[in-house]
Amino acid sequence: MFAEVATMSAFPHLRSLHHVNQCHYLSPPSHIYRSITTTTTKSRRRHPEPLVVDLPWVLNTSTPATTTIPLDDPSLQSTDPPPVLKRSTPVATTSMLNDPSLKSKWSHRAWVASGGTTVLVSLAKSVTGAVDSGTWLQPILAGVVGYVLADLGSGVYHWGIDNYGDENTPVFGSQIEAFQGHHKWPWIITRRQFANNLHALARAVSFTVLPMDLIFNDPVLHGFVSVCSGCIMFSQQFHAWAHTTKSKLHPLVVALQDAGVLVSRSMHGAHHRPPYDSNYCIVSGVWNELLDTYKVFEALEMVLFFKLGVKPRSWSEPSSNWTEETDTSSLIAEL
Amino acid sequence: MASIPLPTAKHSLPSLLHAQTPKTLLSQKLPNLPKSFQSQFCGVKLSHSSNFAVPSSFKKSSILAKVSKGSVAPSFSLKDQDGKTVSLSKFKGKPVVVYFYPADETPGCTKQACAFRDSYEKFKKAGAEVIGISGDDPSSHKAFAKKYRLPFTLLSDEGNKVRKDWGVPADLFGTLPGRQTYVLDKNGVVQLIYNNQFQPEKHIDETLKFLQSA
Repeated sequence: MFAEVATMSAFPHLRSLHHVNQCHYLSPPSHIYRSITTTTTKSRRRHPEPLVVDLPWVLNTSTPATTTIPLDDPSLQSTDPPPVLKRSTPVATTSMLNDPSLKSKWSHRAWVASGGTTVLVSLAKSVTGAVDSGTWLQPILAGVVGYVLADLGSGVYHWGIDNYGDENTPVFGSQIEAFQGHHKWPWIITRRQFANNLHALARAVSFTVLPMDLIFNDPVLHGFVSVCSGCIMFSQQFHAWAHTTKSKLHPLVVALQDAGVLVSRSMHGAHHRPPYDSNYCIVSGVWNELLDTYKVFEALEMVLFFKLGVKPRSWSEPSSNWTEETDTSSLIAEL
Repeated sequence: MASIPLPTAKHSLPSLLHAQTPKTLLSQKLPNLPKSFQSQFCGVKLSHSSNFAVPSSFKKSSILAKVSKGSVAPSFSLKDQDGKTVSLSKFKGKPVVVYFYPADETPGCTKQACAFRDSYEKFKKAGAEVIGISGDDPSSHKAFAKKYRLPFTLLSDEGNKVRKDWGVPADLFGTLPGRQTYVLDKNGVVQLIYNNQFQPEKHIDETLKFLQSA
């Protein structure tokens, strides 16, 4: 990475020397920075190899680069050792942070607004119903149950998507691809803008909660629905916070993570370590210990294997598509 | 899954017991329910000296098992990972650990096989042989044995005939082939049966402990 700036200045005509084509749901970065957050336990690697020349992501967004220049081309070799540069810079880093695929679009914001509205309407119905009837305990308890079950639901969904299907699976294909990409580049989630991160869940919540808002008025039901759906919708935000370095988090978020109200950085970090088969829940993580101790997901995997003949991804050695990309510097994280 | 003692087990037992001769009965002593529920993966061990958890009703097949402690294990002839036919009678004269496992290349079975591999010398020192049996074909066993450098015999019980003959109970309402290990003495008589689906390494601990104390 340090060599790249030198190389760029030396060979400004060079376009992409290295193309990543594994995950095309977002503009594949032309180079990868090492994941930074608490999710990785891999030690930093030195960079004896020179030429990972990176380009601003913006240049690679629309079409895959097709030019591949052999890195061992003698004309590109320098007899001098790669310059050691200070980590102050990079052109590429800044542009990576500005990758359009991480930004929120108006459609994203619209879905988040609609999902949020359905949740708030449900919450309002619960509160007004509780006020009218004078009973608060049941709606509140229902809300607690919703919060607890949202965590379980997040784990089951996450387990399914992480282990089965691929980008061609109907309905879930894009999600599956996104999850695989997340495992390869876990830190990208911390660079997504808010609505960009949440819009897919917000859309699901909109479709699910709207009929309930229209049909039902029971405050207890809405106590459950509003909290459960709200937690599910915001689970991606909790997930992003679990990937963020502590120093960058608001103290309140850290406090909630430490208290176990939100999934903690360390707990979620364990999910991002091989064999990637534990700690699937990402709302509060309260179910993780139970599910992992009693091997619930392993049992489900065994049943699916014997009944349907399908093996989950976590049973195999992780492929390069899955393994976290650590061949990068930690610069992004520190910015 | 290993036994999950449930409150109803105690009530369902009497009807199941009628089918059995006394020596094949399990102890009727129930452990502390909350603790046993919590330790559902302690496994079920049938041997001379221990009291054990009463299995819940879905494990009644173990009570009706044809092979139980004290009985002579029925002989079988199955193909090993090299395609050679191996008979149980070949091992008469020395103790044998026969472990039934669900399938090659599944996480639990891999852990179990590797644990047997890592303790194989101890088994040999105790004079015992180890045999693994699953429904996979010989080529699957060959690949599995090669990948994990397993030094012992794996037999192909295609069609799960031997598993049924021996009465190895299934888990999770019949959806999963059970994980059960038998220790036969040098006369081919079953001295220990251990069942635990989700803590496969315990099979090694329990059988080794038994062999070393025998």
